[in-house]
Order: sequence, then C-alpha cells, then structure tokens
Amino acid sequence: MADPEFQRDALQHLNALYNFAMYLTRNPPEAEDLVQETYLRAFRFSHRFQPGTHLRAWLFQILRNTFLTFYRLREREAAVAEDGVPDWDTPMFHDTPLDEGRAMEAHTDLERAMRRLPEEFRTVLLLAEVEGMPLEEVARVMACPVGTVKSRIFRAKERLRGLLKDYEK
Amino acid sequence: MTPMPDSDEQLGRRLAAELPRYTAPASLRAAIVQAHQPASSRRPAWLSPLLAAAATAMVLALFMLPVLPRLQPLDPVDQLVRAVVSEHSRALMWGSRQSQVYPAALPWLQQQTGIGLTSVFIGDDRLEFVSAEPVYLLRQRGVAMHYRDLDGHLVTYVALPADGLKVPDRNRVQIDRYRPALVKDSGFVTWVWRQRDVACFLVSDMVSVDDLERFKDYFVRVRTSTEPALAY
Repeated sequence: MADPEFQRDALQHLNALYNFAMYLTRNPPEAEDLVQETYLRAFRFSHRFQPGTHLRAWLFQILRNTFLTFYRLREREAAVAEDGVPDWDTPMFHDTPLDEGRAMEAHTDLERAMRRLPEEFRTVLLLAEVEGMPLEEVARVMACPVGTVKSRIFRAKERLRGLLKDYEK
Repeated sequence: MTPMPDSDEQLGRRLAAELPRYTAPASLRAAIVQAHQPASSRRPAWLSPLLAAAATAMVLALFMLPVLPRLQPLDPVDQLVRAVVSEHSRALMWGSRQSQVYPAALPWLQQQTGIGLTSVFIGDDRLEFVSAEPVYLLRQRGVAMHYRDLDGHLVTYVALPADGLKVPDRNRVQIDRYRPALVKDSGFVTWVWRQRDVACFLVSDMVSVDDLERFKDYFVRVRTSTEPALAY
C-alpha cells in the first residue's frame, strides 16, 4: 500500500495520464480502465519508485507498458522495420475497425492525423510536444535511447505533415 | 482549413496549442482513491459494533466459565443404566425383537450372548414372564428378560458381562440380604447389582413411593431365583 504522500503526488498527474490514455485507446471507458490500472500498479509497486527521479515519467511508463501489454494485443500489427519503427508506407497501427463505432470522434484535422500515426510516433509527439517532457524522460518512458526519440520525433512530424497535407487537398 | 506548418518547431507549437486535451472525469479520481483506501476505512459501519459486542461476550464468558455447569462424561454404571433403560423403553413400546419362551430358548440364548443362566426366575403370581431375548448394549452382548406385573408394569431384567464394572456405593439400598444400587434415569428406576462376572439390571417405570416398595419385592424375587454366569 502506497503512502498518502505518494498517492497525492501521483494523482497530480491524473489529467495528463488520462489525456495520454485517450490518445492511445481513443475510447473513454478504455482510457479510464487504463488509467485506473496504471494507478493500481503504481501504488502496488510504489516501493520500487526511486525518490528523486521523475514520478511523471514513471507513471507514463507504467501506463504505456500496460497499454502495450493489454490493449495492443487487440490491434492488428503490421510489419515492423528493424529499428522497431514502421516504415512510412507500412503503419504499425491502423485505426481499429472494430472499435471505430465506440471510438471518440476526432474534432480537428490535427487530431484526426494524430490518430492515424503509429503508436510510437503518436507517443513521442504527445510526450515531447504536448506534455513538454524533456527528451531524456521521453526516452525513459519509451525505453529507448534519446537518439531514437529524436529520430522518431522527426519522422513523426514528417508523417504528420503528410497526413495534414492530404486533408487539405 | 488550417495552413500547413512549415517547420518542425511550428508543428510542435501547433500540437501543444491546438490538440484537444481530455480531462479525467471526477468519477475516475474518486474510483482510484476509493480503490486505494486502507481496508480499515472501507469497513462496513456495522462491523465495529459487532466486533466490540463479540469481544465483550468473550470476556464475559471467560469470567463466567468457572461457574458454568459442566458436562461431565457419564460414569460406566450410568452409561450402562442409560442403555438398559433405552432397551426397556424400546420393549415397552414395540415388544421383543426375538421373543423366546423360556426354558426352550436357554441354549440358544447362551449361544448367542455368552451368558448362561443356571437358574431363571420364570414368573409367579405377581410377575408374569413375557419373553427373553439377546441384546447388544454398548458393544456388549447380553440377555434381556421381560416380565409384566398384575398392574401392567413392564419389568425388564438385563444381564451383561461386568468387565470390571464397580457398582457405586452411592444409592445403595438394603433389601433383605442384598444391597443393590438404585439409579433413576429418564423417568425409570433401575436396580443395579453384580453377580460374580455379570452386571445385572432390573428396570421399571415404578417410580412412585408405593410402586418402589413393590419394585423392591420384584427385585428380591428375580435376584433370588436367577443365577447368571459368563458361559465363555
């Protein structure tokens, strides 16, 4: 059982985690489940958290790992390049047709384009640009080197630009 | 229509500014907090008073323990008397299971029970012999003989292997030259005595003072005329 101070600190990141979960699952009930599971694990394993390190990055890492473990299995995976990032023309994640009916509707072209990005690209953009995380923290969440993060951000933006261009035609 | 951002920097700023942010519903925060509250704070309201009452009852029971009535195991004589009374009650209600007319049944009874009867009270002007049968009481084979007096009282004589049984001195009653013990149980009275290696019982429902005097007389009649012995 986590101590009350830890719980209070962790809950400060609830909205950010929920926002991240929404972009991962595209479905409010699933996002709530994902966040709740994240906190359950965080509180259960709070003794493993090293004080002084970034709690926010740790929580995002738990959330993403949980998502990948439980939710990614339901997604269809396409061929993956050697570095783990899909090629431009072979997206790792497609919009899931089965969940489309329950999915939250995108409000803007930008959001629609974000949804079409593979998870790795979507996540780096959300963490680095939306949440404003330093690259080192993003690297920790994604369990990859900082160089890989930079590369993914670059390629994600490139892909995003291409998608936005399509919408403007 | 939004104009196309040119640079990575511009696109990053646009993401931070324009991408909708989703806020966690209040119910989610409540659910998380609720799920991680200590078990003690989630106890139902009635549990604490119930536990307190149970604890009080336990303490009271501990204090009262020395003065509570104790269930002590019956001594061997009482156990045997209870079994004999049960057998008598059964015969009273449903009659004998293996009704035999004495003396024709004597060899058969001895063979079945291991108790030989060298002489037997076969009834007189006061007691009519009804039947004799083998019985099995407290894992011992024995002989039962049933008599009925002129008033309709059933009187049952039972002989069992004594197996070191000691007739208690308490409740001994002097009748002629005998001193049987009188044991009352479940509304019946029983004379208990030993003859060598055989424990003997005479049971009836003659519990009133007048009946008891007559029951003494029946005891004397049966006692003087019956000689049981272990056959093997």
